[in-house]
Amino acid sequence: MIKDAFSRTQIDRLGDRLKGGSHTESDLRLLDDYRRSFGEAYETVVRTLRQRGEVPTGRLAKSTVSIAEKLRRESIRLSQMQDIAGCRIVVGNVVEQEQLVASLKADFPGASLIDRRDHPSHGYRAVHVIAEISGKPVEIQVRTSLQHMWANLSEKSSDVLDPTIKYGGGPDEWRNRLGKLSESVAAYEKFEKIHAVAVAAYEKFEKTHAVAVALNEVFEKSHSKAVSSHEVFEKATAELLEHHLPEHEVEEIRGKLEDSRLRIEGLSGKLEDSRLGRETSSKELVALWNVNADLLTGAITWLDKLKGQKQ
Amino acid sequence: MIFLIEYNRGKGIIVTFRDFDDSQRREAEDSRLGIELDLNRKGRKGIDHEVVLLEAASRDALLRTHGRYFKDLDDLLKSASQQGDGAGVSREPEFGAEAGR
Repeated sequence: MIKDAFSRTQIDRLGDRLKGGSHTESDLRLLDDYRRSFGEAYETVVRTLRQRGEVPTGRLAKSTVSIAEKLRRESIRLSQMQDIAGCRIVVGNVVEQEQLVASLKADFPGASLIDRRDHPSHGYRAVHVIAEISGKPVEIQVRTSLQHMWANLSEKSSDVLDPTIKYGGGPDEWRNRLGKLSESVAAYEKFEKIHAVAVAAYEKFEKTHAVAVALNEVFEKSHSKAVSSHEVFEKATAELLEHHLPEHEVEEIRGKLEDSRLRIEGLSGKLEDSRLGRETSSKELVALWNVNADLLTGAITWLDKLKGQKQ
Repeated sequence: MIFLIEYNRGKGIIVTFRDFDDSQRREAEDSRLGIELDLNRKGRKGIDHEVVLLEAASRDALLRTHGRYFKDLDDLLKSASQQGDGAGVSREPEFGAEAGR
């Protein structure tokens, strides 16, 4: 039978005992019951994520060894631990990460956010969203594929080389290299984010420009047809005037011809505006393109500099 | 699917790997506890293996998010190198050489 309610004191005392190396069977069973009490909250979070099309890998149960180590490492009580249950989502890039985190904040109102991208933990960079369901925290780790690559290297090297690497210890050389790799990923993702904004602006403007070009083409055609009609009308008028028509009819025809000329002038003015609009649009498009090119050049320069530092 | 993994951290290898249907969650949880109790009884230092339950759409999905359990350090360095090259992040050639230590 799984207990639904545990007193904080009971859980924190269990945590104190787990800090020691050896565990009693009853403590392991109590911890297991406590872990299972997160099941419903976990299910709610994972179901919500799947409904919105995400493919999370859920961690139903944090291992006892990980819990005990965390209790020893940090000044945290077992009842305060927020990652007893959780899940992980790896997205393609930092822009997708931003979008997903924003969605998660909307899906789980009141969720707390731990953003380790600008302030990494010993090089570890990711965003953790802590959703709280019926008083039970469930941690959602959102990593980009590059952040995940780095985390895998850090964790595996901690496993097989030195357990302290993950927390900023271990051989200097290895720690420095992991640190530089983390910085490199951070710089690349910073550029990736700025570049994505610039590309989005460019694409948006490209559409506006396409509309301007299409409008200009319509004006060109309208203007051309109007000019042809006016020329036909002018020729017909000249022919009619040769037939000695009554003065009032001559005046009427001349009036219509003048109206036609004025319409042509109006259309010519609009056509000129349209041409100017298209030219302005083209110039702005080129300027935006140049911003993108500058960003790219900046990133390449930065990477070259980084390579130089590493050699 | 639910995956039960017993992982020997020091050696970086999986000791036990079992999969369960989503409907077998209770059984998976009991199996996980059983392994920990067994390790605790046998081990002089208590439990020294990570025993976790992970839930993923497939084994491939699990590999993608928890590759650390399945790949050795050299494999991870190689894939990091390929990923870094693809993304434009510069690679450390010396990294691979150290992995064998």
